[in-house]
Order: sequence, then structure tokens, then C-alpha cells
Amino acid sequence: MMVSSSKYKFGLLWSVGFVAFALVPVLVTSRYQMNLASHILIWGLFAVAFNMLWGVTGMLSFGQALYFGIGAYSIGLFVHHAGKAWYLPAIPIGLVFAAVLSFLLGLLVIRVSGVYFTMLTLAFAQLAWQVTFKWYDFTGGDDGIQGIIAPGILANKMVYYYFVLVVVFLSVWFLKRLAYSPFGLILRCVQQNPNRVRFIGRSVKMNQLRIYVISSVFAALAGSLMVGVDNSIHTDMFFWTTSGEVILMSVLGGLNQFFGPFIGAVILILLEDIIGAKTEFWPLFLGTIIMIFVILFPKGVVGEIQHLRHRSKSAGESGGRHETHASA
Amino acid sequence: MDFNFIVTQLISGFTMATLLFLVASGLTLIFGVGNIFNFAHGSFYMIGAYFGYQLVSVWKVNFWIALVAAGAGAGLVGAAAEFLFLRRIYGRAQEGGFQILLTYGLILIFDDSVKLIWGTEYKSIAKPSGFTGAVQLGDILIPTYNFAIIAIGFVVVVAAWWILAKTRAGRIARASAVDREMLGSLGVNVPLVLTVVFGLATALGGMAGALAAPLRSVTPGAGIEVIIDSLIVVVLGGMSNFWGAWLGAVLLGEVNAFAVAYLPAWSTLFSYLVMVVTLIFRPEGLFAATRLRKV
Amino acid sequence: MSGRKLVAITLVLVTICLIPFLASAQDKLIRIGAMYPMTGRSGLYGMDSVSAAEMAIDEINGKGGVAGYKLDIVFTDSKSKPAYAVRVAERYITEDKVHFLFGVVSSGVGLAVTEVSKQNKVIFIGTDHAATELTLDNYQHYYFRVSNNTFQSMTAGAMYLKELQKERPWKTITYIGPDYAYGHSQLEEIQYNLKRFGVDFQLVSKYLPKLYEPDYTSYITSIIKDKPDVLVCGFWGGDTVAFIKQAKAYGLFGKMLYFHPDAGGNYELMSAMEGEMPAGLVLSARHHNNWPDTETNRKYVAEFKRRTGRYPTYAAEGAYAGIYAIAKAVEKVGNPDNTEALVKALEGLQIKLPEDPEGFTSYIDPQTHQIVQAQAVGVSEPNDKFPPAKMMLGKWKIYKAEDLLPPKELIEKRMKK
Repeated sequence: MMVSSSKYKFGLLWSVGFVAFALVPVLVTSRYQMNLASHILIWGLFAVAFNMLWGVTGMLSFGQALYFGIGAYSIGLFVHHAGKAWYLPAIPIGLVFAAVLSFLLGLLVIRVSGVYFTMLTLAFAQLAWQVTFKWYDFTGGDDGIQGIIAPGILANKMVYYYFVLVVVFLSVWFLKRLAYSPFGLILRCVQQNPNRVRFIGRSVKMNQLRIYVISSVFAALAGSLMVGVDNSIHTDMFFWTTSGEVILMSVLGGLNQFFGPFIGAVILILLEDIIGAKTEFWPLFLGTIIMIFVILFPKGVVGEIQHLRHRSKSAGESGGRHETHASA
Repeated sequence: MDFNFIVTQLISGFTMATLLFLVASGLTLIFGVGNIFNFAHGSFYMIGAYFGYQLVSVWKVNFWIALVAAGAGAGLVGAAAEFLFLRRIYGRAQEGGFQILLTYGLILIFDDSVKLIWGTEYKSIAKPSGFTGAVQLGDILIPTYNFAIIAIGFVVVVAAWWILAKTRAGRIARASAVDREMLGSLGVNVPLVLTVVFGLATALGGMAGALAAPLRSVTPGAGIEVIIDSLIVVVLGGMSNFWGAWLGAVLLGEVNAFAVAYLPAWSTLFSYLVMVVTLIFRPEGLFAATRLRKV
Repeated sequence: MSGRKLVAITLVLVTICLIPFLASAQDKLIRIGAMYPMTGRSGLYGMDSVSAAEMAIDEINGKGGVAGYKLDIVFTDSKSKPAYAVRVAERYITEDKVHFLFGVVSSGVGLAVTEVSKQNKVIFIGTDHAATELTLDNYQHYYFRVSNNTFQSMTAGAMYLKELQKERPWKTITYIGPDYAYGHSQLEEIQYNLKRFGVDFQLVSKYLPKLYEPDYTSYITSIIKDKPDVLVCGFWGGDTVAFIKQAKAYGLFGKMLYFHPDAGGNYELMSAMEGEMPAGLVLSARHHNNWPDTETNRKYVAEFKRRTGRYPTYAAEGAYAGIYAIAKAVEKVGNPDNTEALVKALEGLQIKLPEDPEGFTSYIDPQTHQIVQAQAVGVSEPNDKFPPAKMMLGKWKIYKAEDLLPPKELIEKRMKK
């Protein structure tokens, strides 16, 4: 009974969310807001994919920007060196490359855990950044590459927006199914009690490797989507601050809620844009807001909302159970 | 192979290393002992440099007094930040994530505060009198200020190691990294310990900033340049190992010094390569006594 | 009575007819959307640009504006992040409906924004970034740059070095600059120009430390070992300060000539280093506070100091020039909306700037949309007229603007790409 009602509510939330985003180009007054919505969708995907590693499996990677950059640069480099026709084929090529690289690097990074894992992922991403930066003749270095326009009908911004919308929604839906599948359950167990996982005959390492590859491939997908929005790529995409942004979004929105990172992306991007437009002292304002968030919302925004809903529900029932996992 | 040049590079690598170590030492302390990842460590380095500027260049205070004062100032700011903000997230699930978010907020606030108070122009501190020249050793010229830095670095590493390893206070501090609850139930005022440790770590970072300032420019955003390098040193040395950090810094400094001389095109890649190799093969640090148990 | 009533009614009617004109007089604005770094290490250049732009706007609006329009500008911190700046540019174009995009300090940002300008057909006035590509390889119809690029600085530099060889023979050079496009371009361009002028030289070594490298010690000792006659330097901002301070202790300046033609003579360097700044360094910048000693330049510098309490760095003059360029173009065309006419007006536009020496007026080259200006290279010497700096440049050698443009074949080759 609870399951089906939550499934119903869940389906409703999905449709509402989809429709809301779908209506953006129609309702908004300027192309800028559509552009903003594209950024939110793409970063939302990136953050949700990242959180599969962290919130779900407990692996804090500070290097997902590596794959984000690969997704973007495969399109950029192909178009720049081989021609416009390569835009669309470059996307699956980039994803395959990300999958292979994340598999190989994954084998190395899962050998260590905790803070060492974090440092190692950071180091690999920085290495990639440094190489891309230095290899000026091939990648354009910190000039980046501009003028990368999606072919055919996708060159139209509104059409591209719907393209992004569909891809992001399908990807998030897929990740959500994954998170609530038996595989997802194992991942949560890996985070909470790796030994028990071994006792029941499952491999901790294999599962960590699997989710690392999956998360990275979706990060690359997000990167490749970004190219069509900005029509340019830059080495910043590999830099550790990009990895840091998805971490911030996840914490802001709530690590333990599936949609937390997505909401975190919405909040952070909107805050940055609005505050940046109003004052040159945006760091002071943004920093203060972050501090307030951290102190007042220990479960992240979505987590706090869930918590309140549970409390108001269990105020009606006696001895309500507190869940820390999302039910929607 | 020019012998003189090799010696020169050895010494220049050593100087770089000491400065690197001093900057990283605060991070080692806070991370290894407090188990807090202080992302904002670079900001305290920057605050120390600005305090140093204010004391030496504006108020004309004696350099060495200003050095200690700048460190103390940064330490006070750090202790206040810990007391007011970091304390509230101890014991939370996913504390690491909140540390990152909180310290990022601190970075933003500190950067803008510094800009508000001192403006965006580049500032500078002159070297202390008596240390502006250089000493000639045969064909090699070594600035005397470098000796001061190396001496201070040595004092710090010995003092830190001795306090942490040999005194009761040090043992308590180290225990707080291992098990806060247990320590609390033994009657130790754990929050106070953490505040003191954080304050000392930021004081070290601030002092390093003021010490390095005569060699660099004092500017907003100065913190970003040191955080990654400090991280690499901490990794090389093992998270809470002061001698390890010092040796790690020396390794990094020398590798860089010789890479610059003989393989200039690749020198910037070396730091990251060393970090990657260390983390893959000896994540507990190159100089740690015990090997890490693989989970 | 009826006469007076008639007059009264007429007056009221006339006033009513005039109201829409009054209301639209408020609306007659030239909207400029500016992006500058206002935080971090480039924050100084951004803030100075903001002040100078506001100064120019106040001057022009104070004289009644231009063709009945007043200038109106909005600033946003670009954060030196290309992806963010592109969003801001989009916002400026689609929401604020700006007539001009303006600014940027970082070339990476400039390259990304020029793309937005091209796609949306909105004029982009570049006021600071120096990557030569923006007016050659990445040239696009709506982009104009009102400050020198690295090619121009390096041409002036090469000419100086050629003349120097006659008085003070030198053969070997070493280059050191930051490891990114700006540092690489200068290295390429100084070699290209030295070869072009038939100078006999040898590049014995080159060093490209990372941007914002705090510690140059190993580089300095290596350079000293290489024993070049001339050290050509491509740093900017805090890196220059750090390098000079660290090199001084090793006596580098006594062993070789320090030559820094693009950003070495920037005022912020001399203001930061005060008395520590060595004498005898050969430096240049895109604008000097003490050259040319013309009325225009003196007034500009003094007014900037009055408004902000400090003397300007070179970036300010770029922003100042940009505003005046916009004003002149709008004056020619009569309104800020006819983009194609404005582009035509800007091409070849002549505009008298603080940095123009007596008898010369800067102009915008119609082919590349790059401003053509004279450049002066000087030597550091004691001068305390611009505190807190204790050294400024002197012993000027002036290079004519036309001589600094790339040769025709190079322009054709790179613009075709």
C-alpha cells in the first residue's frame, strides 16, 4: 500500500517535473532563461551521476571533471580537426572512451579508499587538465575551442533544449532505476558495511568499479551535452573546481536523497547567476548563504523537506519510523 | 655535468621545499590530527600575508614580531571559524562533505573580506633588514633570507614532532583524530582540543603566508596557488606525519628543481605524477612506518 | 479672457504632445554590457577598468551625451571563467538588450565571448585581453579591440632589441613566461619579429612555469647558469612581482639585461614594489601614466586618481578608450541600433586617446578591427611622482603605430584560416 501510493506520487512528481522543464522555452521571456535551464539540466545530470558514487556508494571522487571534460573535448576535438560532420559521431566515441578510461583508472583508484581515493581521483583529473592545458597545438590549451555548433536542426537553440531535456530525463530515470535496483541496494551496503557484503558473497571491488564506470560515463554525457549549449569548450572543464561544483551541489541538495543533487544544482546555479548579476561582492553573499545552508540544513535541502514531511506524518501516527532514505 | 650548478639546484630545491613544507604543515596538522579537511587552508595563508603586510609595510612593525603576530592573528581567525561554524557539523553523517562545503564558504568570505579591507592592488612586503643580501659560496650565490626560511622550517618540524610525539597534549591531540567519542568519555574536553588544534594549524598557515610574502606578491586569490601543492606534500608525507611532510616537500622541491633545469617542458607534470604514483603504491605516504591495511 | 484661455489651452495641448518625447528622452540610452574580473588575481585590472569606464561615461554624459543618447553601462564579474561569461553575455543580449558587449581581461574569456558576439551579431568591444588571435585567426565582423595585442608589443620589443644591438652588442636570449597561450604567443612572436628584422640572435633556453607559480627559484638558478645576454620575460601581474623579487636576491639583474615588453612596465608592478624595484630594467606596457607627457594623458591620470585614490594600471586606459570609441561611432551613425552602420563607423575610426603622443591619433584598422597605437619602451629609473611607486620608466624609445602591425602576408594567411 505504501509502495504503490509512493509509486503513484513518484510518477506524478516525474511528470510534473518533466512538464515544468518542457514548458520553459514557451513560458520564459528570454533566451537567456532557456540557456540557464539548459545549464541546470546538464549540471543536474552531472551531479546526480556523481552522487551515485558518493551518496549511494560512499566514494568521494574529486575527479569527475575528468570525464565531464572528456565528453566535451571529444566533440570539440573531432569537430575542430576533422570537421562539422563529426559532431554527432563524436558523442558515442567520447562515451566509449570515457568508459574505457574509467575502467582502467577505476582499477587503480579502487585499490585505495577514503581520503586516499579522493586524492587519487583529484590527481588523475589534474594530470589530465595539465596535459590538455599544455598540449596547445592539439587542444588549444587555455584558449579552448570555439565555434562548435551542433549539426542540422540541433543548431536551433530551442530544439537543442528539448534534446537536452529528453536525454537528461532518460538518463536520470535510468540512474534512478539503478539506484533502487538490487544493484543499488548492494552499493548502499558497500557504503555502510563492506565486510557484510563480502560475507554474503558479493565483491565490494567489482561493484565499486561498476558504479565508477557508470557514473563516469554519465558525467561524460553531461559534458557532451554542454558543448551544444555554449558552443565552446575550455580546459576549465577538467579543473578541480568543476569536480568541486558537483560536490557542493550534492551536499547542498542532500546526499542521501536521489534528487538532492539535482535540486542542489538548481539552487547553486540560480544563486550564482542572480547574485553575480547584482553585485561585485558575490563571494561574500554566496559564502554567507552557503554557511547558513550548512548550519541550518544538515540533511541538505531535499533531506530537510523529507524530514519535515515525515515528522508531520508521524505526528499523526504514534512511534513513526524515521527514514534517512528517500521514498520519492 | 656542472658540479656547481647541481649544488645550486639542490639548494634552491631545498629552499622551495622548506617554504612548501611550512605552508603544508598547517594542513598536515589539521588533517592528520583533527581529521578535518581544511579546504580553506590557502585562505589562512593569504590572511597571514595580508596581516604581515599591514604590520610591516603600513605600521612599520619589526618583521620578526610581525611574523609571529600575523601567524597569531590568522590562528585567532581560524579558531573563531572553528568555534562558530565547524563545531556545528561534527558528528554529522557525511561530515566530510559538509567540511568541504563549509570551508568553501569560508574561502569565498575571506577572499571578499580581504578585497574589501585592502583593495585589489598588489601589495608587497620588504625583506627584513639584515636578510636582504646573499652569501657567496664559491661560485654559488644563496640569498640570506633563504637561510632564515630553512631555519624556521626546521624549528617547526622539530617542535611539531616533539610536541605531538612526546607530550601529553600531543597525545591527546593525536587521539582526537582516532576516536573523538572515546576521548571524550575519558574526560577530555574534545571540542576545546579541536579548536586549539585548528587554531594552531591556521596560525602555521598564516605564518607561512607572512614568511613567504617578501618573496611573492600579496594579492587576493593568493590562497588558490598553494592549496594543491600543499595537498601533494601532505599526500607524499602521509596524512599526519610531520617528518614525512618535510621529506615529501624536499622530494617535491628537488624533483621540480631538476625537472626545471633538465626537462623544462615537462616539469609542471611532475608534481601530479609523483602524487599519483605515491597514492597508487604507497598511499600511507612515502615515509610512513606502517603500511595501510587494504579495505 | 478668451485670448488667455486660448493660450492656456494651447500650452496644455503642446505640453501633452511633448510628454511622450520627455519620457523617451529618458529611454534614449546606449546600453553597454561589461564583463570584467572583479575578484581574484585579475581583480585589479577589472576594477580599474570599471572605474575608467565610469569616468569616461560621466565625462560624456556630462557634456550632454551623444546624438541625444546617454551612455548606460552594467558590470558583471566574469570570474575569468569562459563558461560563466558566455551565460552573462547571453543575459546581456537577450534580457538587457545591450547594444555593445564590452571588456574582458582573460583571453580565454574573450575568445568565448567573441563567439557569442558573432552568433548574435552584437558588437563586442575588447578592452584588455591581448591574444593576437582575436584580430587575426578568430577575427569576426562584430569584434573590435581598443588595446594593443601581444604581436604589437613584441614587434616594438624586437625593434628595440635590434637598435640595442648596435650600442650594446648582445647575441643570446632566454625566454621565460607563463605556460599558457599568452606566454607561448609572446615567445613565438618575439622570435618571429627578430627574424623578420634580420636580427642575429640565438635562443639558448626557454622556460614556461605554470601560471601563478609561487616559487621561481629553480628557474632563476637555471637561467643564471644559461648565461644569456638578454632575458625576455612574459609574465604579468603578481607573477612579475614574485619573479623580480626572487631574482633580485640572486643578482640576476647584474648578469643580464631584463627585457619585458608586453606587461613589464605595468604601473601595478612599480606601485607594489616601491623602493625594491630594480633600476635599469627595459620594460613596456600598453599605457604609461607618465608617457606621453601630453595634456590629455595628464588630465586622464589625474582625474582617475581623484576618483579612486590611486593611479591607474594600463587596463584602465583600454576601458576608457572603449567608451570613447563607442561614443564616437554612435555620434557618426546617429543612433546605437543600426549595428551594421556602427561596424562601418568603427572601422577606420580615428580617436584621440591619452596614450597618443603629440602628432598622432590612434585609429582602428578596418581589416583586422585592431586599434593601431604607438608603443613606448622605457628603462626603470627613480621617480616618485606617482606614489607609492618609487620607480617609473624613462629614456623612452617610441615606435610608430604603423610599424607595429603584422605584415600583410601574415594577416592574409592567418585571417584565412
